[in-house]
Amino acid sequence: MQKIKLLLVDDEKDFLTVYARRFIRRNADITLASSGQEALQAIRDAEFDVVILDVLMPEMNGIETLRRIKAIKPDLPVIILTGHASSKAMIEGMDIGAFDFLIKPVGTDELYFRVLDAVRSRRQAQE
Amino acid sequence: MQTLFKTLFKCIRRSPSGQDEDRDRFLAKTENFRLLLAANNKALEGMAQATEDAQSSAVFSMAHVRAQCLMIASNVRQMIERLCLMAPGRYDALRDVFNARVLAMEKAMDEGALVDDGPLVLEMEDICADSVPQTGAKMAMLGEVRAALGVEVPRGFSITAASFGRIMEQTGLGDEINRLIQIHDSDTLDGLRLLEESIRHAIDMTVIPQDIEQAVKKSCQIFGKVRLAVRSSAIGEDSEDASFAGQFASKLGVKADDVLEAYRRVVASAYSSTAMSYRLNRGLRDDAVIMCVACMEMINAKAGGVVYTRSPMGRHDRQVLVNAVPGLPSAVVDGSSLVDSWVVDRESLTILDRHIAVKDVCHGVATNGRIIRERLSGERSGAPSVDDTFVKELVQQALRIERYFTHPQDIEWALADDGRLVFLQCRPLAVCEPHDEVPSEMERTEDAGAILFDACDVASPGVAGGPVFPVAADEDMSQFPDGGVVVSRSARPQLSVLMAHASALVTDYGSSVGHLANVAREFGIPYLIAGPGAFEQLSGVGVVTVNAMNGTISLGLRQSQLDAAVTTDSVVLGNDVRMALQRVLPCLVPLSLTDPESPDFVPENCVSLHDITRFCHEKAVNEMFMGGERLTSNARKLVGKTPTQYWLIDIGGGTVETADTARVTLNDIRSNAMQAVWRGMTAIPWDGPPPVAAGGLMAVLSEAASNPALTPGMANSMGERNYFIVGRQYCNLQSRFGFHFCTIEGFAGDDPTENYALFQFKGGGADMARRSRRTAMIGTLLERHGFIVEIRDDALFARIEGVEADAVEQALVVAGYLLVHTRQVDMVCADIASIDRYKQKFSTDINALLSGKMTDIHDWRCGA
Repeated sequence: MQKIKLLLVDDEKDFLTVYARRFIRRNADITLASSGQEALQAIRDAEFDVVILDVLMPEMNGIETLRRIKAIKPDLPVIILTGHASSKAMIEGMDIGAFDFLIKPVGTDELYFRVLDAVRSRRQAQE
Repeated sequence: MQTLFKTLFKCIRRSPSGQDEDRDRFLAKTENFRLLLAANNKALEGMAQATEDAQSSAVFSMAHVRAQCLMIASNVRQMIERLCLMAPGRYDALRDVFNARVLAMEKAMDEGALVDDGPLVLEMEDICADSVPQTGAKMAMLGEVRAALGVEVPRGFSITAASFGRIMEQTGLGDEINRLIQIHDSDTLDGLRLLEESIRHAIDMTVIPQDIEQAVKKSCQIFGKVRLAVRSSAIGEDSEDASFAGQFASKLGVKADDVLEAYRRVVASAYSSTAMSYRLNRGLRDDAVIMCVACMEMINAKAGGVVYTRSPMGRHDRQVLVNAVPGLPSAVVDGSSLVDSWVVDRESLTILDRHIAVKDVCHGVATNGRIIRERLSGERSGAPSVDDTFVKELVQQALRIERYFTHPQDIEWALADDGRLVFLQCRPLAVCEPHDEVPSEMERTEDAGAILFDACDVASPGVAGGPVFPVAADEDMSQFPDGGVVVSRSARPQLSVLMAHASALVTDYGSSVGHLANVAREFGIPYLIAGPGAFEQLSGVGVVTVNAMNGTISLGLRQSQLDAAVTTDSVVLGNDVRMALQRVLPCLVPLSLTDPESPDFVPENCVSLHDITRFCHEKAVNEMFMGGERLTSNARKLVGKTPTQYWLIDIGGGTVETADTARVTLNDIRSNAMQAVWRGMTAIPWDGPPPVAAGGLMAVLSEAASNPALTPGMANSMGERNYFIVGRQYCNLQSRFGFHFCTIEGFAGDDPTENYALFQFKGGGADMARRSRRTAMIGTLLERHGFIVEIRDDALFARIEGVEADAVEQALVVAGYLLVHTRQVDMVCADIASIDRYKQKFSTDINALLSGKMTDIHDWRCGA
């Protein structure tokens, strides 16, 4: 089984650690980024299958980060996962082309299935 | 995962057009269709949950409602995106319709959570009753009595709603707090405490905008060295049906320079675990908190206390109650000490009763402005805090205030050391409905010997029993059992956290005019003040009955007392959160778009998010199976001896290659998953409609008549679109069987970690009670065969994961069997005995099927 290469972007360290730990057990290769800038650098440097992105982050917020990710890698699926339950952010994010908009807390299973959907969707679109 | 991709999307053995482009487009479509269906299920599930929540009595927060609505919306948006990918350019109009509906949803949710515009700071001289939206009721009422009645109140000013709003908006603090509430677990006390800490930290980190800082500094100038009391005056606080009594912080003895720091503390107290759990249990909105803060000069009090212009118990309507302590009045309201009390006749001002307590502490302002707690002893502890003449004068003034507001008042006052009477607070007093006292003699005789305490003070009426739970420190509270009797030494306002779960409350000290008593009455919980020693004596006695009708506490559950108690109909309280959810439901659930054949079936007519899901689902089915070019040929009619009403789509290796592009026979099926489903569906023929219990058929018919989505035309049009999507080891069946909508999906390959089986269904023709009963019965059967089952009303979601292929196949047999055979059940589900009979029959059938006695693939005999 091929590993899923996943980029997790969140300014909250605790959140990163917890999800990273849970996903590693599920055969995913995790890269962490704690800001939008770091995330952009990461996707310039390496290939990912999917990005999980927070919305409320200092400096560059998630929506702006998403916009720039899409400018660099238009077909890279990005799942927004945020505690910021805002319709405005949801609509903006989906308009820019987010794969999905999920609200914390999300069960690991549920998030994992969304990740699989996103990855499959893209691989299949590429083939 | 790759095996699955390969199987599903690569190894297409049969490609009717022979063109890769077609195949790829078709596969992309299939995948988008699958994701659309998954989003459809989640959105409908969310809608069912929201509808249930709106009608339930469960407690939930605004953060929950917000997340729920957004979850539904994002799944609906997901459906739109998938549909747009299936048919590029054809359904783009849906996005605008969706955005408009979501804005309407947002508006419905935010009604009542408005932040007022206006000055950042208001001086006491400029404050009156009309200032409530800017200063909160506490400050506004003081300003009003000062202006209208000329009574003395402290000098001071308010840091207004506009300031609060500006801080929340400009600095992003509001978003941050909502986010913290969203991500923290607020179901447990520990979770709430963590949340409280995070929010306090966020507030500490926030830079207060300069104009606010300037305005506050300017207002502080007149005070010079005089210390201030910085107190909460939140919008909605002190209203008649939600006192928030004692929930928010007051900072006393604050230097002018430190006012902003104290302001932060008071704002943070709006998010204390106590305040948040109070809001949660009372259904008030966290996001509607507007914390205005009152800054007033400290009164150097030689005595202070509280006046209730009526008895809060509502029994003695000619009486005014006065409580007093020496020094600052804080000891009265926080329940930390015994208090002197007077009962005064409203008309004649005669003192009807007087109780001078032995007071052991006194709060005062030290010369350096600090608040000190002084121990009282000897003569001072036994002396009255004020004399009777003063009490009469106080009552006179209090009654003036009551007459002015034409409502009973809860008034906090102080007697300054220079003899001035200063009013610190006045607010409407909630008065319980009067009811008859239970004659106390009866129980005393009957339960003689069992009484642990009698002659307790009643602070909140009622009778209830439960296990004693002593609370000595805050840490104890996290272990509190539902239905327990809270026993505490003092009437600490923090105990109000437990009121939603407690059956009764007993404290050593406290008063019926304290914060805690207010909260107990709001929650309709009996509360007795039992006097010194109660805590020790009650700890460890087990179950007690607290009778706050006659003031006794007895050992054990005294059923006769519980029965004799007049059930106090606790006031029906407004629940802002539930109301917000109810306001939002019309944007979510009503289905107005029902007839796909009608010319009105267009995006613009989608009123609710449910309409949009309906539209997307219908169009997706069309795009998949009806519409467009050569791809239709991918869907073939499934035939046995006669044609069935099933269509089949092979996405790779699910059938034997044949030249027939219109039909596929049962013998052509190679998909192990589909074979299993089909075996379950057909091995044991359906008996046809069962004999219907009296009323059963009528119930079904009347439901069908009243639900437009279930009209026959509708059922038929969907009935033609029951389809299998199959691969070599995969099967997905979407079917509408009569009134039931059902999904079976499974993958049964070599790698157990990829294998799964799903069974979901919803709906039915009978009323909700029958449908729910049937769902519960099916759930039990599924669980017996290894499924993990989740049930909401009549909707059922069951799954098995990570098992060997043959276990998946067995699960699919069970699912197939239940799909066909359960539709007969809701007609008879009024009758529990017949449910049991069916359960027995189903169970026997399934066991026979699984034991391999019936392995043939049968022809379709159900004629569904």
